[in-house]
Amino acid sequence: MATDTTPTSATATKPPVQKVTPATWLRENLFSNWWNSLLTVLFVPLIAWALWSIGRFLFVTGRWEIIIVNLTNLMVGDFPREQFWRLWVAMAILAAVGGLLVGVTAAAAREAAVITGRELDTSWRETARRLGPPVSFLVVMMLFVRTATPLLLLVGVIAIGVAGFVLGRRVPHDRRALVNLAVVAGVAGSLVVISGFGGVSRDSWGGLLITAYFTIGSLLLAFPIGVLVALGRRSTLPVVRWTTTVYVEFFRGSPLIALLFVGWLVLPFMFPPEWENITRISRALIIFTLFTSAYVAEIVRGGLQSIPRGQWEAAKSLGLSPWKQTRLIILPQALRNVIPALVGQGISLYKDTTLVLIIGLNDLLRVAQNITQQPQFLGQGLIAETLVFVSFIYWILSYWMSRESQRLEARLGVGTR
Amino acid sequence: MTESTLTSQALEAGGTGEVMITLEGVEKWFDDFQALRGIDLVVGRQETVVICGPSGSGKSTLIRCVNRLEEHDRGRIVVDGTELSDDVRDIQEIRRETGMVFQSFNLFPHLTIMENITLAPRHVRHKPKKDAEETAMKLLERVKIPEQAHKYPGQLSGGQQQRAAIARTLAMEPKVILFDEPTSALDPEMIKEVLDTMEELAESGMTMMCVTHEMGFARAVADRVVFMSDGGIVEVNDPESLFTDPQEERTQLFLSQIL
Ligand SMILES: Nc1ncnc2c1ncn2[C@@H]1O[C@H](COP(=O)(O)OP(=O)(O)OP(=O)(O)O)[C@@H](O)[C@H]1O
Ligand SMILES: [Mg+2]
Repeated sequence: MATDTTPTSATATKPPVQKVTPATWLRENLFSNWWNSLLTVLFVPLIAWALWSIGRFLFVTGRWEIIIVNLTNLMVGDFPREQFWRLWVAMAILAAVGGLLVGVTAAAAREAAVITGRELDTSWRETARRLGPPVSFLVVMMLFVRTATPLLLLVGVIAIGVAGFVLGRRVPHDRRALVNLAVVAGVAGSLVVISGFGGVSRDSWGGLLITAYFTIGSLLLAFPIGVLVALGRRSTLPVVRWTTTVYVEFFRGSPLIALLFVGWLVLPFMFPPEWENITRISRALIIFTLFTSAYVAEIVRGGLQSIPRGQWEAAKSLGLSPWKQTRLIILPQALRNVIPALVGQGISLYKDTTLVLIIGLNDLLRVAQNITQQPQFLGQGLIAETLVFVSFIYWILSYWMSRESQRLEARLGVGTR
Repeated sequence: MTESTLTSQALEAGGTGEVMITLEGVEKWFDDFQALRGIDLVVGRQETVVICGPSGSGKSTLIRCVNRLEEHDRGRIVVDGTELSDDVRDIQEIRRETGMVFQSFNLFPHLTIMENITLAPRHVRHKPKKDAEETAMKLLERVKIPEQAHKYPGQLSGGQQQRAAIARTLAMEPKVILFDEPTSALDPEMIKEVLDTMEELAESGMTMMCVTHEMGFARAVADRVVFMSDGGIVEVNDPESLFTDPQEERTQLFLSQIL
């Protein structure tokens, strides 16, 4: 049967496009019936008014002087200014390994898309959309920077990141696991650069720096712990199963703010007295890590359950040891399936770090409040400006991560197998 | 049946005169449901045994007991001199020597065909990567899909995937291969390519236990056919006799339904 000669498949390649005039667009979208018309009449002025006031605040009445003066405080808190070179070196290292990681992930995602036959959107428009959030972040920052040095250094750091990305895309398939090691080494190395060798103790960190420290540090620590706990919950040893279950249920069932309080009070007693200087920052990091591990464990457990039984059976029948069945066959697939959920957990951790306010740490949000108490700004009601600024930082970076994770999700074809 | 009659049965039927697999009084329960009842069967070295029977008769359960994907509750299973016990080392030993081909292929979707095939030789047999890849290439040529080596399973047709799965199993140089309805998930036009591969394997002297409904294959390739029903073996005979002159009523009924 010659089905390929039917007229539809040969000629009609695209659905017909109807020309939409502004008038018909208005009618169809805003005034299609009396109810929609009413809503339009009510809401258009409301939205216009809101946009007008926001615009007026941002560009006319807002006094952004406070951000310009305090940008450094917002970024790093009380970090000693003469030690800044350490931060720049650390940022360069992080940019390099971060670029590498993103490059490898991009290459892997591209392959996955090829496997599943998904089409990749490589148009310039898509690229522009992707660059939107980081570029707006940088532009906004630059609006407040008044000297050339940080801008030049920033350009350098970005260049290193891009170089890492390009390199990452060329990492051969069987070397990709090494990149994970490089990331861990890079993060550890950047920590050493900042605080080791006569560097700056974590107690004087502040601003976006500790926000980043908590987010990146806890995620990196929580990931392996969470995976182990998830595996523990499937263990054949009842003791392991029970302990891990209790752990997960306890941390998932407690409010983070309470845990931070308890950790702040209790953790010092749980370590040997010589360690009494276990800093508040370390305490918070431990709590964030324990808390996030429990959620990571649940996410990974879901991923493990999504792997069909046949995969285990094939791995067993080839004579792989139980550990190799898990490590080589099950985990890679399970983790790939839960990347979006893990990114979501990362975003929520990033925002939750604001809770350290209650144990007196100088994070971004608290710096934003404190600077309004400076003598030259006191009593001028500038809290709106500072809060808008830090909200923007939280929002734009969260939004960026979430967009990228949705994209990755589409590329990996999660859930479509 | 006594061991000697079992053995002589296997040895008469072809093979080389040596025993590869012995099942003795094997029983298996799923909770209260008895899935296998007193299974006695001997498979000779280089013999091809086809297992058939109605759905739910325990065919899959039987061959899955041989490599401990299911644990039998009573009786003995010996594969090439190693008895299946609770000792993990025995289980691993038998799994290394026993390949399995599944109805749903069960290739590892995150690895290329080449990686699928070289994984076990590298991680179980500790072969160097290069050797493993050379062997894999030869096997892919043997199953006639060398050009698919660097694709992912999802990019292959069902028939190609099943042949890749057979190559993956062969890479471990198993002494026995268990097949569980290897062609049941395939479109009709792909069944033949997989059956041809299996036939070539049988002729090359592989010991095989195949659960299959492909009676043409059984006739052409099997040394013996085992007919199962309700968890027990009803009848064992060479294919010609079993298909043309079944002794048991249940066998006759089954054959009249499928032929
Ligand atoms: N994991 C299990 N738990 C409980 N019952 C099971 C399990 N696996 C199999 N059974 C039961 O054991 C019996 C034999 O199953 P088995 O899969 O061996 O049959 P089969 O002969 O392979 O059938 P089919 O031709 O449908 O594959 C069936 O009644 C089935 O319901
Ligand atoms: Mg079956």
